[in-house]
Amino acid sequence: MSLINITLILYIMTSVAYIAREVWRSSVAKWISLGLFILGFCFNVSWLVTRSIEAGHPPFSNLYESLVFYACCTALVYIIFEFIYNFRIVGALASVLAMLILLYATLQDPTIRPIMPALKSNWMLAHVITYMLGYGAFGISFVTSGIFLAIKPFAKNKKRNEGEKGNEISLINFDKLSYKLVAFGFPFLTLGMVTGAVWAKKAWGDYWSWDPKETWSLITWLAYLAYLHTPLILPKMNISKSKTSVILAFWLLISFGIVNFTFVGLNYLPSAADSEHIYGSK
Amino acid sequence: MKNGKQNQPRATTEVKDTTTLTIQSHTNRNKQKETNRVWDFFCSVKLAVVIILIMVVACILGTVILQEKTLDEYTAKYGYGLATFFRITQLTNIFHSYWFSFLLVLLCANLICCTIKRWRNTFLQTGFILTHLSLVLILIGGVIKFQLGVKGGVNVYEGKSVNYFLTQLINRQGKLDYIKKDLPFSIALDDFILEKNEPKFHLVSYVKSKDRQKILDVKTGKRQRVPGSDYRVTVKDYVPDAELQQEPINTSNEPENPAIYLKLLGSERVAAEGWLLAHDRNYYDDKRQSLRIEYVWLPSREELDDAIGSVEKEHAKLSVAIAGQGLLQDYPLEFNKVFKIQGTEYSLRMLQYVLNYGDRRPLSEQPPDNPAVQVEVNGPEGSETRWVFEKFPDWDKMHPGKYTNVKLTCSGIAGSYMAKNTVRIFQTLDGMQVIAFIRDKRVAETMPWEVGKKYTMGDISGQIMIASYFPSFDFKKEVVKKSDDVGTPAIFVEVDGPRGKIEDWLFSNNQYATWYPDNNFALVYESTGESVKHFTSKLRIEENGQTVAEKTIRVNDPLKYKGYVIYQSSYDPEAGAFSGLQIVKDPGIPVVYSGFGALCFGVIFIFYVKPFLRKKSKKEAEE
Repeated sequence: MSLINITLILYIMTSVAYIAREVWRSSVAKWISLGLFILGFCFNVSWLVTRSIEAGHPPFSNLYESLVFYACCTALVYIIFEFIYNFRIVGALASVLAMLILLYATLQDPTIRPIMPALKSNWMLAHVITYMLGYGAFGISFVTSGIFLAIKPFAKNKKRNEGEKGNEISLINFDKLSYKLVAFGFPFLTLGMVTGAVWAKKAWGDYWSWDPKETWSLITWLAYLAYLHTPLILPKMNISKSKTSVILAFWLLISFGIVNFTFVGLNYLPSAADSEHIYGSK
Repeated sequence: MKNGKQNQPRATTEVKDTTTLTIQSHTNRNKQKETNRVWDFFCSVKLAVVIILIMVVACILGTVILQEKTLDEYTAKYGYGLATFFRITQLTNIFHSYWFSFLLVLLCANLICCTIKRWRNTFLQTGFILTHLSLVLILIGGVIKFQLGVKGGVNVYEGKSVNYFLTQLINRQGKLDYIKKDLPFSIALDDFILEKNEPKFHLVSYVKSKDRQKILDVKTGKRQRVPGSDYRVTVKDYVPDAELQQEPINTSNEPENPAIYLKLLGSERVAAEGWLLAHDRNYYDDKRQSLRIEYVWLPSREELDDAIGSVEKEHAKLSVAIAGQGLLQDYPLEFNKVFKIQGTEYSLRMLQYVLNYGDRRPLSEQPPDNPAVQVEVNGPEGSETRWVFEKFPDWDKMHPGKYTNVKLTCSGIAGSYMAKNTVRIFQTLDGMQVIAFIRDKRVAETMPWEVGKKYTMGDISGQIMIASYFPSFDFKKEVVKKSDDVGTPAIFVEVDGPRGKIEDWLFSNNQYATWYPDNNFALVYESTGESVKHFTSKLRIEENGQTVAEKTIRVNDPLKYKGYVIYQSSYDPEAGAFSGLQIVKDPGIPVVYSGFGALCFGVIFIFYVKPFLRKKSKKEAEE
């Protein structure tokens, strides 16, 4: 069985383990579920390692490889956060998210092709790694925002901060968790955009040329920038805290949609034909 | 966390404002209020968020509507009305439009005002100040690029030099325009090197019913199942540099595919030689002396006699039948002569004939594949011209003309054309071997022939020799190894499937797939090489006839000189004769890059350093 398939199965098992952990709360269940996720992550990484040895270049040269790396980063960000906060049910959906990304990767052309000259750059390495870590964090924030919106109508009477022990965050405070995830991911997104600009300058002579890929990466950045600034204005517009949190959670769902469109959806744009940077267009 | 922190300073400013207000006189108060309002507007986060959202919309529009195209392209794509609207609203070049620029200026003002207002001169604010001012720097750098920068390209041929480049823009008329920009130096291309990747070869399988492609292993001797199907593939042999050689062989003594190897001997050497196949290509034409040599296979001795006897009588004819009158008449092939069909109102005139309809070559070069005669039919309703095909007698029925009751057929046309000199080599099933020399449609000479003997026929220059005879001619395909290096690799593959095992050679230079007999499974051994690994240009910068700089540039590694940066951008895709250079001058780069640095440092500070510092100070306060 290929490493990808093993990773896929481990991610599914992780999801099941996290749901079981919700029912049967114990430190054993906790370590089993987390352990499975880490194991899946390790297999994901080992695929990337064997692939780069086989291909002779870092494993982000085409859409297939980048998607596997994206899944890997999503898992990594989740695991980091699990060590900081007690996450509970998020793991069940985060592993599903990683699995879906992997599954989407398997639909792509897996052929190893020689990389084009412009991709041979260290800036490109920094660009992809930082971007994918950012995307991973936004993926998890998508999950937490979704859970928050799902739980919100049923938790009206519950007080905030109720029942929080130590690092455990109750579901009703997931809006704060989402913010922390975005706060974790946004610097990576910024670094990714800046390193991308420097790489573009080195390879194509211009750090910014309003290429559709560049423009959409700016849209993504602006979307999360808006998310970070709205909490400052909504209270002044006589919008209640509870409504603010719902609006922000929705905004994060949309923003993650924008992230994925920027990553894989640009081929559907009429301007895609002119682009230098869209996967598969050249 | 950011929320609480940044709300506090705002509250204190408001307190300060009210205290100053009470001291002010009544008239000043209104003015003050007015300026405060303007100031507050420019400082507000609300303005920032609104600008961000408008920019998002503008950016989306900028990728949905094609940018910087010619007016013709817009009109073709969107229609005249919409194209004009886009042009007037500058939606055709959003990112350099006046309204987008205004938005950016507003953003700049917002960023500056906001930074000034919240300036507290504390260490914890470092990130806030850096990020906000970095954006201002990046925008200023962008303006410098737009105003003072140039970007263009030029193609340089090897050994030549240029002292200009071209920039591209859409002019006011909406047309594509090139502007020549002079360089303060000249660029000489001493050498251009195009380095290609080592080709890689893949064995790709395709299952038609599932529309699925899979790459298979090419390890020899390993039997592998094609995933998701019942086909099994075994690579049995691999040759790194293979060539297919076809060697003629005789497979049996039964005359299944008779062939002779013919030599036309000149005075000193062999003038021509080759195989003639009785059932395939059975003739050779020597145009210099109007000679045709034919190899004719016949079943029996009687037919051989007929064939020789009828050479002189071989006459082409046109047959006419009139429907309803049962009239059948034959006419010899004679052109431009009017034949009146007796007892009818019709007459015929033959216009021309061909040996291979549609062939534009002269008659003597046409193979007798599709002989036809063009005939003009005259009747009560005027004249009609039609082609009569020897091999398709029902053509006129399927393509009816004016006189559907006049049925025309022809025969013997192929035989009616004969080269001045014709040699027919006859052979029959019962062992007769006769060679006949026909001159001007008359049999001049006949004699029996044997393999290996030379025959001199009439005044034909040279001798004719039948070097060998194969009753069942076939090709033996043999794969030979040309060298040990990887050249044109080939693999010998066995496929096992619902119709049993088949084996075949697959060549990497054959782009066509090899299909399994059920037409559902195919293999192709393809090369993914030939892609470009590197292309480099050895450049020399000359000023006043002197070399002032030299560098071999490649993608990701440009040459910088006097504020200009010269990038390797493309090359001549056909001959590799020229190198495409991109020439950029952007004095705004230092400003933009300091903005980039400040932005990166700032965001890391805000989201990683600051929370850490605050936690630390909180802990200290608790203690």
